Amino acid sequence: MSVNTESLQLKKRQNALLNNLQLRWRLFGRKYANLTGAKHIIVRLAMYLLIIGLAFVFLYPFLYMIATSLMSNSDLNSSSVQWLPTEIKFENYAIALQLMDIGRFMKNSLLVTVTASFGHIIACSFIGYGFARYNFPLKKLLFAFVILAFIVPTQTIIIPLYMTYSNLKWLDTYLPLIVPTFFGFGLRGALYVFLFRQFFLTVPKSLEEAARIDGCGFMMTYWRIVFPLAKATLVVALVLSVVWHWNDFYESSLYISSPSLGFLPPRLTSIITAANALPEQQAEMLRQLGLQDGEDTLNNAVVMAGALVISAPVLVFFGFAQRQFMQGIERTGITGE
Amino acid sequence: MKEKKKRFRMDLHKRNSLKGLVFVTPFIIGIALFFIYPIYMSVRLSISEQVAIVGMKMQGFTLEHFVRAFVVDTEFVPTFVEVVKQTLTKFPLTIVLSLIIAVLLNRDIKCRGLFRVIFFIPFLLGSGEVMQQLLNQGVDRSVLNVMDGKLIPYSVLSYFGDTIMNAVQTVFGLLVTVLWGSGVQILLFLSGLQSISPALYEAAKIDGATEWEIFWKVTVPMISPMLLLNIVYTVVNSFTDISNPLLKYIQKYGFTDAEFSYGAALGWIYFAFIGVLVAIIFAVMQKYMHTSEVEEVKKRERKHRVFTIEKAPKRTFE
Repeated sequence: MSVNTESLQLKKRQNALLNNLQLRWRLFGRKYANLTGAKHIIVRLAMYLLIIGLAFVFLYPFLYMIATSLMSNSDLNSSSVQWLPTEIKFENYAIALQLMDIGRFMKNSLLVTVTASFGHIIACSFIGYGFARYNFPLKKLLFAFVILAFIVPTQTIIIPLYMTYSNLKWLDTYLPLIVPTFFGFGLRGALYVFLFRQFFLTVPKSLEEAARIDGCGFMMTYWRIVFPLAKATLVVALVLSVVWHWNDFYESSLYISSPSLGFLPPRLTSIITAANALPEQQAEMLRQLGLQDGEDTLNNAVVMAGALVISAPVLVFFGFAQRQFMQGIERTGITGE
Repeated sequence: MKEKKKRFRMDLHKRNSLKGLVFVTPFIIGIALFFIYPIYMSVRLSISEQVAIVGMKMQGFTLEHFVRAFVVDTEFVPTFVEVVKQTLTKFPLTIVLSLIIAVLLNRDIKCRGLFRVIFFIPFLLGSGEVMQQLLNQGVDRSVLNVMDGKLIPYSVLSYFGDTIMNAVQTVFGLLVTVLWGSGVQILLFLSGLQSISPALYEAAKIDGATEWEIFWKVTVPMISPMLLLNIVYTVVNSFTDISNPLLKYIQKYGFTDAEFSYGAALGWIYFAFIGVLVAIIFAVMQKYMHTSEVEEVKKRERKHRVFTIEKAPKRTFE
């Protein structure tokens, strides 16, 4: 007994000592940190160095693509030219555009991407709000289904899914890509449900309660109060959905077989095969497109030009969208929570 | 009197649960249309014998496919282990690095918008064939190339020797692929950081907290729901990415070779593993997650108090 209390006291003393030391260290830090602005400047400098270094790593593939896409054949093969092409060749882009038949496929891609992403943000925010705010029977089971839909690899269920769509006579239309998004499924749909649920869990209820007291119905509350409040998350979900739908080629290539309904990104493979083809075949292809054979041969530069053209729409879209989610959400009038 | 009040409260409860059901109705319809049947079919495929490829006829009940995966198949288990190893090395790195980048991007730095665009470029390029093409050309290895003597001079290189330099090169290569793959995580963290009220930071500062303390005691708890989402996403994504060798293997059986049953069985073994992993993550994270649910308890207590006060004037009416 006495041993116990003694050890307890010893522990207490040790704790007190430790706390004291911590406190002293903090006071010391504060004293010297605020002595001059030197630390502040150093920290900022380190921050900028870090961020610029990281930015280089992230920017590298893009720079590589731009540089390579403007090179001529001799630049590609010479070892002395790594970044700056000796002469800038914009013809690469013209060839890439013609090879991809951009007009038609761009239209298809845009149509499906826009409608499917719209379905995702409308449906998933709605469902996610239900999961975050209300209690109802079988809630846990349903949420388990969300997680299940998220983690079951598409490859596991792709064949029965294909059969379902074929029974519905949806094959070779855009319906299998668009309709499921309006029910919280589709390309990673469950992820957005999860995302919105997590977001709504952190939003305080006060605004909704105020709306209810003012006589706003629950649907109106959702539409007028909650939906606008989730602007930042909506933009995030929209960006993810747009990018994934734009770049997706696995499901779309399964459900859609007729070439006239195809999408833009898989067209890159047609350029790659053209670039890897034998010289005679390349000359034939170029003649079919009505281009002069000779200087502008099909090479890696054309592939990169095509890749840039394919990713240009999402790049532009993201440039606009990031301004939206930078503004953050305004929580006017909510305090103490 | 008492009974009436009780029934009224029950009704409120029911009404609330009805409202909740209204919100999740689309999802229930979605499950019925696009989820239950494929899941059911896939399970049935995996536990029965395949009789004909056309029409996918099957009969009987057998666990032979599952046994085959572990006993007969010599490729499945090694690929599996390799994939798990890769994921376990990449996933903590991804989470930590993307959190650091998100915090940096959320600060008041110059050209914030530009930097934000830059950090998402690999993601924008990345989920399609474009990035695959770049990787085929070895772009990821040339970003942080220590071997060609640009980043570190040759004199230093020769001092370290080949084995160390090779190890460093491997680490750098891993780092680059991890960074390029962390666009979504940065985006999610950033949206989490954006939803933290500035008032909390102000309050912490006024109370004399240092930056370090603010990060651990305000930022981390406030983004913990996003952290959970991010961890689950990272794990699941690295397991279900189309370029994943194991999924390619499953795809080969389930689609190209038309051995649907075996493909489905492999898929379910794989899925069961991911499911258990995610369940563990949920169980661990749930303890540390900060949600308004904690405040809900307090609020319920408060409501009770209000209720008892309300009672008093009613009695005087009687």
